[in-house]
Amino acid sequence: MAATTQAKIGWSVANVVTIVLVLIPLVWIISLSFKTPGSITDPTYFPVHWTWANYSGILTTATFLRPLLNSIGIGLIATFIAVVLASMAAYAVARLNFPGKQVLIGVSLLIAMFPAIALATPLFNIERILGLFNTWPGLIIPYIATGLPLGIYTLSAFFREIPWELEKAAKVDGATPFQAFVRVIAPLAAPGMVTTAILVFLFCWNEFLLAITLTATTAARTAPAALSFFTGNSQFAVPTGSISAAAVVITIPIIIFVLFFQRRIVAGLTAGAVKG
Amino acid sequence: MTTVTPPVTAQQPAAGRRRRAPLSEGARAERRLGWLLCAPAVIVMVAVTAYPIGYAVYLSLERYIMSSPQLTKFVGLSNYGAILSSPFWWHALVVTIIITVVSVAIEFVLGMALALLMYRTIWGRGGIRTTILIPYGIVTVAAAFSWLYAWTPSTGYLSALFGNAAPLTSTWQAIGVIILAEIWKTTAFMALLLMAGLSLVPEDLLKASKVDGASAWQRFTKVILPLMKPAILVALLFRMLDAFRIFDNIFILTAGNNGTGSVSILTYDNLFIGLNLGLGSALSILILICVAIIAFVFIKGFGAAAPGTDIRR
Amino acid sequence: MVGGSDRQASPIWTSLGLKRRRRARSRFRVLIAAGGGAVLASALLAACGTSNASTGPVTLNFYNFPDPSGAVQSAADNCSTASHGRYKIIYNKLQSAADQQRLQMARRLAAHDASMDILGLDVTWEAEFAQAGWIRPWTGALKQQAIAGTLAGPLKTAIWRGQLVAVPYNSNTQLLWYRSDLVKKPPATWAQMFADAQALAKQGKPHLIEIQGAQYEGVVVWFNTLVASSGGSILNATSTQAKLGPPAVKALTIMKTLASSSSVDPSLGVQMEDQNRLAMEAGTAAFELNYPYVYPSMKADNPKLFKVFKWAPYPSVNPGTRAKVTIGGIDLAVSSYSPHPQLAMQAVLCIRNAENQLAAAVKGGLPPTLASVYANPKMQGPYPFRQLILQQVNNGSVRPKTPLYQVVSVAISHQVSPPSSINPVSTEQNMRTQINNALTGRGLTP
Repeated sequence: MAATTQAKIGWSVANVVTIVLVLIPLVWIISLSFKTPGSITDPTYFPVHWTWANYSGILTTATFLRPLLNSIGIGLIATFIAVVLASMAAYAVARLNFPGKQVLIGVSLLIAMFPAIALATPLFNIERILGLFNTWPGLIIPYIATGLPLGIYTLSAFFREIPWELEKAAKVDGATPFQAFVRVIAPLAAPGMVTTAILVFLFCWNEFLLAITLTATTAARTAPAALSFFTGNSQFAVPTGSISAAAVVITIPIIIFVLFFQRRIVAGLTAGAVKG
Repeated sequence: MTTVTPPVTAQQPAAGRRRRAPLSEGARAERRLGWLLCAPAVIVMVAVTAYPIGYAVYLSLERYIMSSPQLTKFVGLSNYGAILSSPFWWHALVVTIIITVVSVAIEFVLGMALALLMYRTIWGRGGIRTTILIPYGIVTVAAAFSWLYAWTPSTGYLSALFGNAAPLTSTWQAIGVIILAEIWKTTAFMALLLMAGLSLVPEDLLKASKVDGASAWQRFTKVILPLMKPAILVALLFRMLDAFRIFDNIFILTAGNNGTGSVSILTYDNLFIGLNLGLGSALSILILICVAIIAFVFIKGFGAAAPGTDIRR
Repeated sequence: MVGGSDRQASPIWTSLGLKRRRRARSRFRVLIAAGGGAVLASALLAACGTSNASTGPVTLNFYNFPDPSGAVQSAADNCSTASHGRYKIIYNKLQSAADQQRLQMARRLAAHDASMDILGLDVTWEAEFAQAGWIRPWTGALKQQAIAGTLAGPLKTAIWRGQLVAVPYNSNTQLLWYRSDLVKKPPATWAQMFADAQALAKQGKPHLIEIQGAQYEGVVVWFNTLVASSGGSILNATSTQAKLGPPAVKALTIMKTLASSSSVDPSLGVQMEDQNRLAMEAGTAAFELNYPYVYPSMKADNPKLFKVFKWAPYPSVNPGTRAKVTIGGIDLAVSSYSPHPQLAMQAVLCIRNAENQLAAAVKGGLPPTLASVYANPKMQGPYPFRQLILQQVNNGSVRPKTPLYQVVSVAISHQVSPPSSINPVSTEQNMRTQINNALTGRGLTP
């Protein structure tokens, strides 16, 4: 029994250490965002003088609010389209027998492995010729394409688990195919689709390389890209406080979101990766 | 899928090959439906990836500098020659490989420890899973700024802790900071994949080996690791490919200065500082080749299941 | 921004959607329709991006370096007022780093962005922007007005292939700053400066020589000054090949001599202008080669040292021949995609007129490009060294004029920084190869 207690303490210590290590950088950026301009060059971990000025500063300027809107809009539209298209493909992969299925999986895996930089150069040139450069569709379309493999992969893993016999049973009971789909299958498929939507949205929200390559102004620049282009009033004033506050603003909602949906996210991340 | 597909084509993966075999009306309809459902996804993916890659191959054979349009002409493999004979490319490649190998190795050890911790721990299992999801959820750029300011002299607590150190101004220390930021961000992902693999290890087997007198370490190396091998290889492959394209952290932390640029940063700089689409495209293609080599080595060399093969069943 | 663009994309997607809809089976109709609808919705949403309903004065977007002094902003305001409602200039601050300024403007111009009218270009970008067709050449009466009274040195930076492609806004040049309590007479040549520093070192007095040695544009400025002062040039007359040769070897020898002498700042290899300024203000250095902004800064930061903080001409390489110091500064250009080029050019002429240049010099410390401003009595107080600046700017040297300047510059800075790694003869050879590679589009940007 003593051994069990000892083990318990050991595991608990390890738990605490992990939690502290994870939280330190997060708390640091939050603490920076509350420091006054005068005390920001004072390397204490927690602020000595607190201020909300950094937040009121960024939340009243279009240089941050517009990118925030871009991030939300581009992320939601790209996620919606990607999940719809991926659901169709994943349904086919999980449920139907047709030649070319392997090719589809192969192609989407290839794309999942693609380094984004390999696309950046040609996409920049294509978009500037087509006039898509620095527009919402200019980011939405590549995000759909890079979100699709993730979506197909995760969704086909989920769809394989759905007991499709129920659909047949419903039809036997006199339901039309449409009714069978809406009443029986859709509710079963919804959790997988929600999970996939979360993962794709997180990807869009986090994406940086294409966001800085394919945009130039706040017309389409997303929040992470705007963050890296924040400028102070002069070259001597690095806007540390504003950047920190903006980093917190784009991070905290996502963290709450992630924690709220943690079970789904874990299920989604591990769905396709390991059999079982 | 085998349970529900119409009987005619079920268990017949070779149906497409045997063209002369008559297909039932249902099977043909199913085939058509399958294609139709996949078509939109395939078209989008091809339009946004395959086509640009093809275009990049074409651009890589040209001298194409945005600011000197009149210099544009077909130059064959000259861009590749210029890159492969440039010390900048090899330096960036070495930096990228070091970052990839070191960070994935450390992440694997830490991720395995975390996975065991989450799997074995009795108290606070949910709490720790919740916590490690924070780095996963945080925007990479935001986390990178946290590290940047922490290591900036006279602003950062870490810099102050190490006697006002400025590691980001020296090549190898800066690479160390980049690796640290990578590890912090992605160990959680590794741990989750490995934990899913851990659940494949039958509890009975562990109990049996314990009864047989195997130590905890023996149980880990002789029972758990071999059984987890497929999951480990998939996790390593995923992370390797992901780490190889590292960009965000470097862009924020050093912008590739002092020889800390990865191959992605090098490509970005040639595209936007050099405005050289020819060299930029050739670099893109070379990076693709590197990624293909990594995937090939894992799948053929170590026998990693190609991710997704399980879908095929 | 580019409103019509999405319309080009939509026919592809919608036609596919229709095709699918015709053939698809009933229960998937919903799903597919939803997908097609979403694509359309996104295209429509984006189409509502920006609308430009402008009545009244034309808006001219002016992109320039972030100016903390307020001189640029007030110039923009003054000119908007003076135009009597014809135009309104909006001053947009670019990032503070020069690389990022160029990156943002080049990227947008490459995409034919029509929302930029007036561009503040560093004096090394004109060839690139003009060659790419991104900026408009000046002709006729406007050109004559732009040239009138402008100093010859800065004007050289704004000319590409015989055409005036921009108008000099401000110039810049480095002076030799020294401590009159340490040396009675400022050194006239590099050799003399090395000797003076060594003598100071022997006496145990502050003796460091402060200059920019980090791997960036600043070190190229130093190298270019030395090569030009030795009577050579980095590129040949037509900018098709590296010239270098003995003058370059001589320049490299001087850089190497400093790097290996006892008067070198140990951090030379990572030093930029501001570290030099701080070292001089801290009292550890005897000599500093830097821009005139260090003068008001010394006055504010160290009033005691300020009393002995003096200036002199940039040291020469060959005794008796004045140094040809690299010219810096900003030229104003008008974008080829500006919908109002004529108005924009008139606005440029106003922004850089004598009155606004005087304000920029007095408030922002930026050396003017109009000869008349130097004669203004208001320049005396903040600019006691104005005659020296005028003389150096007029006799200055221009960095290589080529559309591929960025890559050439990178090739140079990687060869000469850190200066301690220079081996004059072999560095000159390597640099020649690298520059020639860069000029044929084979130079990698690290």
